[in-house]
Amino acid sequence: MLTKHIRHAFIGAAALAVLAGPARAADPGITDTEILIGLFAPMSGPLAAFGFDPLQAAKMWYEEANKKGGIHGRKIKVLIEDDKCNPVEVVSVVKKFITVDKTFIVHGGSCTAPAVAAQEFVTREKVPFVMLNAAGDGAVIPATRYVFGAFGGTQRTVGATIMEFAIKELKGKKIAFIAHDDDFGNSNSTTARAVAQKLGAEVVALERISPRITDVTAPMLKVRAANPDVIISTAYPAPAVLITQKYAEYGMTKTPIIVAVQGIPIPAVFAKNVGNDAALANLYYGSPLNDLTDGPKQQRWIQLYKQYYPDRTPGAFMTYGLPSAMAVTMALEKVGKDLTREKFVDALETLDFDSGVVAGPIAFAKDRRDAHRASVFIKFDGKTHKLMPGTYLWNGKDGM
Amino acid sequence: MLQQVLQATASGVVTGCVYALIALSLVIVYKSTDVINFAGGEVVMIGGYLGILGLLYLGLPYAAIFLFSAALTFLLGALFDRVVLNKVLGRAVPGQSILVAMVIATVGLSYVMKGSVRLFPYTEEVRRLPPLFTGEPIFIGQVVLQLQDFAIVGIAVLVMLALWAFFSLTIMGKALRATSQNPRAAALVGIPVRRMRMTMWGLASAVSAVAGILLAPKLLMTPDMGVIVILAFAAAIIGGFNSLPGCIVGGILLGVIQNFAGLFFTSSAISVAPFLVIMLILTLRPQGLFGGRVVAKKV
Amino acid sequence: MYGSPSWRRFAPLLILLALGAVLPQLVPQYFLYLGNVLMMYAVLAIGLDLLLGWAGQFAFAHIAFFGVGAYATVIFQTRLGIPFAAAMPLAALLASLIGMLIAIPATRLRAVYLALATFAFAEGAQWVFNAWDHVTGGADGLRIPTPNLFGYPLGTDPRAFPVMAVVLALVIVATLYLTTSKFGRSLCAIRDSEHAAAASGIDVRRTKVVVFAISAAYAGIAGGMFTMFQSFVNPETFGFAQIVLVLSMIVVGGLGTLPGTLIGVVLLGLMPDIMRTAMRSLLVYTELVYGGILILAMMYMPRGIWGTFVRRRAQP
Repeated sequence: MLTKHIRHAFIGAAALAVLAGPARAADPGITDTEILIGLFAPMSGPLAAFGFDPLQAAKMWYEEANKKGGIHGRKIKVLIEDDKCNPVEVVSVVKKFITVDKTFIVHGGSCTAPAVAAQEFVTREKVPFVMLNAAGDGAVIPATRYVFGAFGGTQRTVGATIMEFAIKELKGKKIAFIAHDDDFGNSNSTTARAVAQKLGAEVVALERISPRITDVTAPMLKVRAANPDVIISTAYPAPAVLITQKYAEYGMTKTPIIVAVQGIPIPAVFAKNVGNDAALANLYYGSPLNDLTDGPKQQRWIQLYKQYYPDRTPGAFMTYGLPSAMAVTMALEKVGKDLTREKFVDALETLDFDSGVVAGPIAFAKDRRDAHRASVFIKFDGKTHKLMPGTYLWNGKDGM
Repeated sequence: MLQQVLQATASGVVTGCVYALIALSLVIVYKSTDVINFAGGEVVMIGGYLGILGLLYLGLPYAAIFLFSAALTFLLGALFDRVVLNKVLGRAVPGQSILVAMVIATVGLSYVMKGSVRLFPYTEEVRRLPPLFTGEPIFIGQVVLQLQDFAIVGIAVLVMLALWAFFSLTIMGKALRATSQNPRAAALVGIPVRRMRMTMWGLASAVSAVAGILLAPKLLMTPDMGVIVILAFAAAIIGGFNSLPGCIVGGILLGVIQNFAGLFFTSSAISVAPFLVIMLILTLRPQGLFGGRVVAKKV
Repeated sequence: MYGSPSWRRFAPLLILLALGAVLPQLVPQYFLYLGNVLMMYAVLAIGLDLLLGWAGQFAFAHIAFFGVGAYATVIFQTRLGIPFAAAMPLAALLASLIGMLIAIPATRLRAVYLALATFAFAEGAQWVFNAWDHVTGGADGLRIPTPNLFGYPLGTDPRAFPVMAVVLALVIVATLYLTTSKFGRSLCAIRDSEHAAAASGIDVRRTKVVVFAISAAYAGIAGGMFTMFQSFVNPETFGFAQIVLVLSMIVVGGLGTLPGTLIGVVLLGLMPDIMRTAMRSLLVYTELVYGGILILAMMYMPRGIWGTFVRRRAQP
């Protein structure tokens, strides 16, 4: 099997060498007519819901660009791989893209740990790595030249904005914060605490729970005992439902509760799972999007997706795949005909645009690699959504 | 503080019965075949999803979905034993343990079940089966419990008693016990060993399905919820891997210990408590609380 | 079969070393990466096979020692300034010591209890990796510094590859000597019948503790190998899925046989990449297919590939 791969690799490399035209010290993955992009995401396994639709959305965006004649005469060709959000597989995929397929850039990743695992390699090889919809905290902060990510926002953004909303809009002074004991929890609780301190509120309870928790009795008892005036949860969907149920069971529904985006991918399903609309009387949730998941601003993307993939109803995260693809095509535009990886990175650094998908601008800078720092919040009572005023931003400094 | 302890205990008992129900099926399989069923959690998962299928799509009444799910999973378990495990056992060479191969086969089964369930986009989101009993929560003093919680405890105890009665009092049950203790002797007295094993697997799977339907409202359904099997193992070990009543006691102890760990230490201690308890019990009293004497198998 | 291993058995190792020297010049890094992953798994799998296939001990704490080896190798370098060449053996020694400590109570347990106790230990170890963030970086993990082997920096696949090959070769040599020695015979005796083994004068308890410690050392070495070519370690790497993978490798390949273990490592180690390429449009089925392969392998080759086709197994 290995020999067959090697043979194929040689043939492929030889073919590319022939197609590449006259010997010019050009970057790999570029010909006069094509740009080769290695696209990857979890397409199977437990986390496929986070990667499948976003990857298809990115592919769709590239197709749209190709329909308009490509970028400076070059069409985008994508190679697609499944990484299952597994660090060993991501490194494997990225190494294959770069050293065998010789793609121009790698674009992908819906999970953070794999992104960090691949960071050193892409930096060493000087290949731009644009994440898909991964939060990517550890890989973009601190910023390194070749790795761009957080198009939906880092977890640091989630923590900072949710705390700011709790204090400024809900007038919270005593906050209970429930997070997981994983890397997401580390990131979001750090900035949340920093923002609380900055704005003069007290974190009266900080519960770190396992993502696999089955009984949230103990943490919720402690939260209740702390007598908060706002409760924040950055838990994943199953624990978030359990927390909300116990919150109602223990009679805390007069206290507002805010659920971070990762806990409530589809609000209608969340409400059904909680099974008790009285629990939702004071519930808010955060979102990095510029509208409700099926709101009018998101509909244009949903309709476009349906044109491309009529057999698939897009999941909650589909549009998250678009801003990164947009950044790629914009940067390619900016560079112009004489395209190199270094120029591509320089162009990405100058970007600052409204994607039409997420709440805030997509922006990079010399020392900034997390694209998106905004959240909006929505009050949800099980039936209606009410977009709360204000777009909340993390300033990139709190908690650092 | 007292209120917190009482609440932690009450909720711990309920969650513990959840673990106990799953543990029952693990112990049935272990007692009859010496196999550790790594697919135990996935069978619970399938049972729960079949319950959703029955209730929300086929419009069956709630009582019927127990039967629907149990029947289908009985078939699944029996089929797995008949087709796969029989084959594996058939290639055993006397003197060499085939157990590890059987365990790997159950691992394969768990992936097959997870993979199959994931084919349905419905399962991409966390889902919940509506509870058997809905209504206002019940207050005992300041301790709050749901009606479903009582159902869980009640049915767990009932199932355990029914299984105990079945194994002790009925001919079939005694035959099954004989098969697990000494297959060759059982065969000698005319007990159809292979069919008995198949029945055990079917029975264990059906119990898992019942567990799944009871627990799905409490635990929420994802294709990966099978990881809870580790906690069921812990419950079984505490109670004694050979003992059915031990499952209930072990489960309850585990549920309460977890909550106390969360209450008195940190919330992240909740996830490590089961493993500490396993190691402690196995070091001090390997047969668990009810395991009886450790009988050395003939070598 | 017993006595010193014949020199012919060392011949394949020369091929391994030759490949180690030559391949980095010839093939793209991707294949070297795969090779490094496989070599690491090989050491891990051989260590588990010693315990499970040769000594018949159903113990699954292996992954914890793998983690100890990886984390310790990094921490010895970053916190204590110990150079890599010493850090890795020290880390393996630490893993071995912990293995011995665990073995002392654990070896009193019978099959299923041993399995569950050691499994619980492995889960507990993963929790420690996650919770002890001052030392292990917790959930955020640790970045692995470029290891420096007597002035020769590792850290990239082409540079690590030859060194990994050497380490693997040494491990295989040690294994060959171990398994053909009196100690190896004791292991088989214990596996087949502890009572008979004791009756023939083998100190069963001590032998079990020793093989535990040796197996843990293998896992620790594999952990050190991990740090030679990876750039990041976090607790997720040392979980249940890994235990299952290594176990599947040795069972599918053939328990108690060195060639079988290596076959299992190559097959199951390359499976994700093969499936990814072969099932491009059918990615949703990968989990199903993987499970199906395990089931079919057990149904038709329960003694593993080597055990079925070569019909030989560690025999006294």
